[in-house]
Amino acid sequence: MTAVIETSKLSKWYGNVLGLSDVSLEIEPGVTGLLGPNGAGKSTFLKLITGQIKPSIGAVRIFNQKVRRNQALFSRIGFCPEHDSFYEEMTGWVFLTSLLKLQGFSSAEIRLRAEKALDIVELSADKDRLIRAYSRGMRQRLKFAQAIAHDPEIIILDEPLSGLDPLGKRKLIRLIRTYKEEGRTVIVSSHVLPEIEALTRSIILIHQGKVFAKGDIHYIRDLIETHPHMVSIRCSDPRGLAGLLLGEGCVLKLHFGADGRSVLVETNNRDRFFGLLLSRIVQSRMDIEEITSPDDNLQAVFDYLVGK
Amino acid sequence: MTIREKGYAHWEGQLRERRFPWTPITWLGIRLAFKKKYFKFIIFSSLVPAVVFLVGIYISERIEDFQSMFRGNRQLLEVNPAYFKTYLCGDFLLFMMVMILVVSGAGLISDDLKHNSLQLYFARPLSKRDYLLGKANVIVFFLLLLTLIPGLVFIIFKLLFAGNFQFLASYPWLPLSVIGYSLFVTGFFCAYTLLLSSLSKNRRYVSILIFTVYLFSDILFGFFYENYKNPAFALISLKANLQQVGSWFFRLKPAYAFPWYWSLLILLAFGIAAALVLNKKVRGVEVVK
Amino acid sequence: MTPSPPAGIRSFLGSVRRVFTVFFRQGRKARRTRFFFLFSFLPVAVSLVIKFNQVFSEKPGREGGYLFSNLIMLFYLQMIILIVALFYGTSVCSEEVEGKTLPYLITRPVPRAAVVLGKYAAYTAVMIGMVTLGLVFSFLVLNLDRLRDPSLYSLLGRYLGVLVLGMIAYGAFFSFLGSSFKRSIFFGLLFSFGWENVIQYFPGSTQRLAIAHYLKSFLPAAPPGRFSFLTFRLEPTSPGLAFLMLIAITAAFLALACLFFSKKEYNLED
Repeated sequence: MTAVIETSKLSKWYGNVLGLSDVSLEIEPGVTGLLGPNGAGKSTFLKLITGQIKPSIGAVRIFNQKVRRNQALFSRIGFCPEHDSFYEEMTGWVFLTSLLKLQGFSSAEIRLRAEKALDIVELSADKDRLIRAYSRGMRQRLKFAQAIAHDPEIIILDEPLSGLDPLGKRKLIRLIRTYKEEGRTVIVSSHVLPEIEALTRSIILIHQGKVFAKGDIHYIRDLIETHPHMVSIRCSDPRGLAGLLLGEGCVLKLHFGADGRSVLVETNNRDRFFGLLLSRIVQSRMDIEEITSPDDNLQAVFDYLVGK
Repeated sequence: MTIREKGYAHWEGQLRERRFPWTPITWLGIRLAFKKKYFKFIIFSSLVPAVVFLVGIYISERIEDFQSMFRGNRQLLEVNPAYFKTYLCGDFLLFMMVMILVVSGAGLISDDLKHNSLQLYFARPLSKRDYLLGKANVIVFFLLLLTLIPGLVFIIFKLLFAGNFQFLASYPWLPLSVIGYSLFVTGFFCAYTLLLSSLSKNRRYVSILIFTVYLFSDILFGFFYENYKNPAFALISLKANLQQVGSWFFRLKPAYAFPWYWSLLILLAFGIAAALVLNKKVRGVEVVK
Repeated sequence: MTPSPPAGIRSFLGSVRRVFTVFFRQGRKARRTRFFFLFSFLPVAVSLVIKFNQVFSEKPGREGGYLFSNLIMLFYLQMIILIVALFYGTSVCSEEVEGKTLPYLITRPVPRAAVVLGKYAAYTAVMIGMVTLGLVFSFLVLNLDRLRDPSLYSLLGRYLGVLVLGMIAYGAFFSFLGSSFKRSIFFGLLFSFGWENVIQYFPGSTQRLAIAHYLKSFLPAAPPGRFSFLTFRLEPTSPGLAFLMLIAITAAFLALACLFFSKKEYNLED
C-alpha cells in the first residue's frame, strides 16, 4: 500500500529540549494509533506533520507534497487539536460553519456539511447554544465535528476520546473504524492504551521523542524477546497438564493460579508452545475451559518497551 | 478488600492550619510578576523619582555647596510635607503605579476566571476573603515598595543627613501621614485593579481597562474644566481625587477648591462598588446560562 | 479588457475575503465590541452635556466648532482610536495564541498571511464603524446650530478621513506588535501614550517618527489654549505626503505582521 504520510529523519528541538528525534516512517491508509506517555513527543509529531511547527531537521511529505506553506493540502486534512479551546462566544453551529467557510465551500454546501457533521457527533439539538455552555464531552465532539466536516482524506486526532463518557467513546471508536473501511487515513494519538487497542492493531510507540516501535501490536510483541510470552490455561486438571508440559524446552516457567484451576506458562516460543499444547490436550483428552495470553496486548508491549 | 489491605494507612498526624492562608497566593503572584523579563525594568524605572528625591534631600542639607545651581530657587529644595506630597502624589509615580498594575495586576483574577481555577482555590480550606487578600497583597507589595518604603527612607535619610531630630520635631505627624497616605492609595488601587480584573477572562482587555479608566477620567476632567472652569469637575478624575486626599494627609492646601472629603467619598464609593462586584464575581461555581 | 489577476493572487484574495467574512461577523457580535462601542460614544455624552449646558446656561461659552476641533476630535485622535486600535490590532494575532484557537486557522487551506490580512480588515471595519458613528454624532450635536452650512460637511469629511486613516495605520502597527511580542498591550501602551506624545515635542524631522504627526497634518491648526499642548510644536507635513506616509506605514507593518505570523512558531502552552 502506498504511504500517505512520509517523514524522513524528522527531529525537533525546543531550545535544549529534544521534542522529537530522528523519526523516519511511513503511514499507510487505515487507522494508526500514536501511543506514548505524556511528554513523549506525540503532539510534537502531529504538529510537525500538520505543518504547525517547522522541523529542526528532516522533512514531512503528505501525498508526496511538502506540508509547510502548502495550505492547499489542508483541504484534504482534518485536524482535531488536543487543547480544549474554542471561540467561546460562538454557538456550535456558527463555529462549524465559520471553519467550513474558511475551507472555501459555498453557503449551501456549508449548511449540508455542518448538519451532517453535527448529526454524526449528535450535537444537532445543541447547535444553537453557546460553546461556553457546552459540557466537556460536547466540546470534544464539536472538535471532532470540525475535523471531519469537510470530508478529509486524512484525519489527525490528538487525544480525541478525552472527556467523553464510555458511550460517547464507543460511538467515536466505531466511527473511526468506518473511516478505515472507507480507505481514509486516520492517526489517533492517545496515552490510554485500551482506547488505542479498541481502535487499531497498527501502532507507533513514541517515548522520549523517539519511535520505539511501529507496526502490528502482536508482531511487535513477538519481537520482544527479553520478555517471555505468557499463556494462561484454565482446565479441570492444571497440575496434570503442567506435568505434560514440564519437560519441553520452550516452557520456561509454570505458575498455578490461586483458585487451583489454572496454570500460567511462560514460554520463549509461542508458536511452538501452542502446537505442543494442542497435541498434549488431544493426547490426554483433557477438558480445557479457557486459553488466554495475558500479555499479548498493548499494555504489555508498552510496559516492556517503555520499561515501567 | 479493606483499605488497609490496599496499602492505605490513616495519617496519625495533627492537621495544622496555616495562620495566613493567603500567603501562598501572594508569593505566587509576586514570583510570577518578577518572572516577566521587563517587569524588573518597570519597577526600577518607577524607583527613579525616589532616587532623585533622595538626592534632593541630600542637596537640601548641603545647600551652600550647591548655591550656584539654585540661585533664587532655594524653596525648591526645602524638605517639608509639600516635598513628600510632591513625590507621593506626583503624576509620574501615579502613572508608573498604573503601569505596574497593568503588568502585574491585570491577570490576578482574570486568569483564574479564564482557566476556571476558582473551583480549585475554593476546594481548599480557603475563604473568599483569604483569596482576595492574597491577590490584593500582590499589589500591596509592589505599591508599598514605591510609596511607603521610599517615604520612610526619605525621613530616615533626612534625619541622618541633618544629624539631628529637628525635622521630626517640626513635623512629628509626618511619618504617620506617609504611612496613612501610602496605605490609602495602595488600598484604592487594590480595589480598582481587582474590580477590573474580575470583569473579564481576557487579560489583555483588563490591561486596557486599567489604563484607560485611569487616563480617561483625567482627560475628561481636563475637558470639562477647560470648558466650564469649575474645579468640582476634578471629582471625575481618579488622579485628582487621590491628590486631593493626599493634600489632607500632608496638611496642605488642596489643589482644587472643594473639600477633600468629597474626593474621599468618591474613592470610598469606588471601593464599596469593588467589594460588591468582587463578592458576586469571585465564587467557586460558575453559572453558565 | 483588463487582464484578470493570476490564479494565485485570486486564490489568496479569496482566502482573505473568507477570513474577513468570518471575523467581521464575530467581531461585530463579540461582547467586547459593545464595551468599545460605548467607549467610542463617550465623547457623544460629553458633547450632549456641553450642548445642554450651552442651551440652558446664560453664559454663551465656547463655540461648538471650536470645542469639537480642539477637544472632541483630539480626544478621539489621542485616546479613543489608540485604545480601540490597540485592542483590536493586537487581537489579530494575540487572541488566537492566547485563546489557543490558532490550530483551527492554520490547519485550513488558508495562507497564514491571509489570516492576518483578513482579520485585520475585519477588525478595522468594526473599529471604523464604531468610532466614526460616535464622531459623526458628536460633530452633529456640537454643531447643531450650523447644520445648514454645507462647508460643515466637508470639515466633517476631513475629520472622518483622519480618523479612518488613523485606525488603519495604528491597527497595522498594533497587528505587527501582536504578531511579534507576547506582551503586546504593554508595548502598545508605551508606544501610544509614551512615544507618540513625547516625540512630538521634538522639532524638525524627529516629529515625523510618530503616526500622530501625519494625522494632525490633515487637521486645521489649533489656536493657543489649555489644550494646544496636544498639538505640541506641530510642523505639519503636506497632506498628500502625509497620506502616502500613512499608507506606506500601514503596508510596511502589515507586511511585517504577515511575515512574523507566517514564520513564527507560537507556543500555545501557558
